[in-house]
Amino acid sequence: MKPVKIAMMGMTHGHTRKYYQTLIENKKLDWVASCAQDEEAKKVYELYKTGVPCYLDPEEMYKKHPDIEAVVIASANDRHFEQMKWCAEKGIHILSMKIPSFDMKEYDEMIALCDKAGIVCQIELEMHYNSVVRRLEKLVKEGAVGKIKAVQMTNITLSPVWAFPWQGDPKASFGSVVPLKKGDPRFRGGALCDHPHIFDLIRHLTGSDFDYIYAEVAPNLRDGLKVEDMLMAVGKMKDGTAFLFDPSWSRLEEKLKVPGPGWERFPKRMEVNVTITGEKGMISCDCFGPNVYHNGAPNDRYTVQYTYFDEWVGLIDEFVDCIRNHKTPLINLKWHKQTIQAMLGCYESIQSGKIAYVGKAK
Amino acid sequence: MNLKKMNKGLDFLREKYGAKAGEITIKDGHCYVGATPLLPGRMERKIVELKKMTENGTLEDVSTLRFASFAQKGADAEALLAKELDLAAYLGASDVTRVMAVASGNAINVLAKLANDVNVSVEVGAGLPRSEAAYDRHEIIAKRGVACDQTVDTHTPHASIRVSNANGMEEFTDVDTELFGLTYEEVWNVRAAFALLQGRASAKVWKAAWAKATKAAALAFAADKAKAAKTIAVKKGLDTNQSIKVSEVR
Repeated sequence: MKPVKIAMMGMTHGHTRKYYQTLIENKKLDWVASCAQDEEAKKVYELYKTGVPCYLDPEEMYKKHPDIEAVVIASANDRHFEQMKWCAEKGIHILSMKIPSFDMKEYDEMIALCDKAGIVCQIELEMHYNSVVRRLEKLVKEGAVGKIKAVQMTNITLSPVWAFPWQGDPKASFGSVVPLKKGDPRFRGGALCDHPHIFDLIRHLTGSDFDYIYAEVAPNLRDGLKVEDMLMAVGKMKDGTAFLFDPSWSRLEEKLKVPGPGWERFPKRMEVNVTITGEKGMISCDCFGPNVYHNGAPNDRYTVQYTYFDEWVGLIDEFVDCIRNHKTPLINLKWHKQTIQAMLGCYESIQSGKIAYVGKAK
Repeated sequence: MNLKKMNKGLDFLREKYGAKAGEITIKDGHCYVGATPLLPGRMERKIVELKKMTENGTLEDVSTLRFASFAQKGADAEALLAKELDLAAYLGASDVTRVMAVASGNAINVLAKLANDVNVSVEVGAGLPRSEAAYDRHEIIAKRGVACDQTVDTHTPHASIRVSNANGMEEFTDVDTELFGLTYEEVWNVRAAFALLQGRASAKVWKAAWAKATKAAALAFAADKAKAAKTIAVKKGLDTNQSIKVSEVR
């Protein structure tokens, strides 16, 4: 199979660096160029010494590499629409970060643009390529616990805002400046916008759609942050499954400009845990464990050193397969829309103090 | 181990990333590619991370290694010990030079010394019922930092998934998406074969390392019988404890 000529754009997203190894090693790909949003992003990109040229102007990149077939859009959420449009106009396939847009009008335009261009647009929800999640999905499908009655999920992390400041900027993260609720000085665009995975996974596990959702924000852990960092949500799926979600930035961090050793203050940077109560039993799942543990440099405090981060390997394999074999990705724009609507439902509920029926949020 | 499934996994990796041809075979319960014994323990991601910590400054001045390996009844305690002594040399970055051991039934407790003066203890027991999964523990104690593949306040490994239903409780720990469906032992043998065929691991090094480890394990049993420590002469030349390059996403 002819390798897919691929490029990256933006280079400001927290997941940007996670692609480097896969893009270099996978023989189904030829990583030809990168295009950073600004000098600062370019400077950080160059620390990783990928050997792939980095531009600041997408047109210049395209002029030098007119054979680019696919792009990983690794940018702030409010840049996605213009970059998707740029790709669609050129017939370039897209791997989008996890939040294409929270603006449903813009979101529908993205769908139309990609449909018209006949391109693949895959959304990066890498948990599907996590081997533990794969086992979890298999067990549920095989009926290990029978019909699911209730699900609790955490997608809790440190906050990446110090390394990726756009994630603390309401406009760049949420797409527009919307207060959380009356009398609250904070805006939409924080932890919730960073954690769509659990809103997606429950749909796959139950095979059901969201019915309604109720969410509450808690006081922030980080002073001066303009967006929410602590929240929880409960709700029901249309098949009656009750859920409780924690998508918070509840793990404190050092304010590093570039992620690296010592970033975490809580021993573990990120946890995706799932508990399922079914009619016939229960499942308890830690998607990022076990690991190895130390209290050495740089901060001499107990730290979880992750061992298994191969999600991006499977993610990219699927993307290439969809491009070369004209398939639709599992997480495509149309599928993902309801996940985004459920997240919007959380904000709507926070604002109103009432439940929000998913898909009906303003 | 299911050789057919393992070689299918190896072919998949070879085709995807590129590597020379080769297949995994089993002799006396140990996996080989050609005449080269595989060292799957060195490929386990937890061991890779521990090795990195000893080399990248996370840990400084290693003093002691505390290892354990427990398997089902009938398992070959000497083979279990050989694997652990190889990992001790690998993580301690120095060859085993002295072993003392006390054995009883299907268990052996070993106190070893590396050439760089690091102490190593290894608990080996082949007493688990057939229904229980084998497990191990590797703890590195240094002047700066302690690292371990088990979390604090536990003495058995954590599992990624626990399922409880009318059939009882079952645990799962899947570690490799590309080789999903293979057992833990199978995964790391495939990864080891792949590293060898890609040239990231050296056949010469692995042959020499495994010869040292099996010799040290045999001497541990001899030390028990003799009630005296056995010394192993260190040969100068080939460094058999270099780290292996692996893919990683951070």
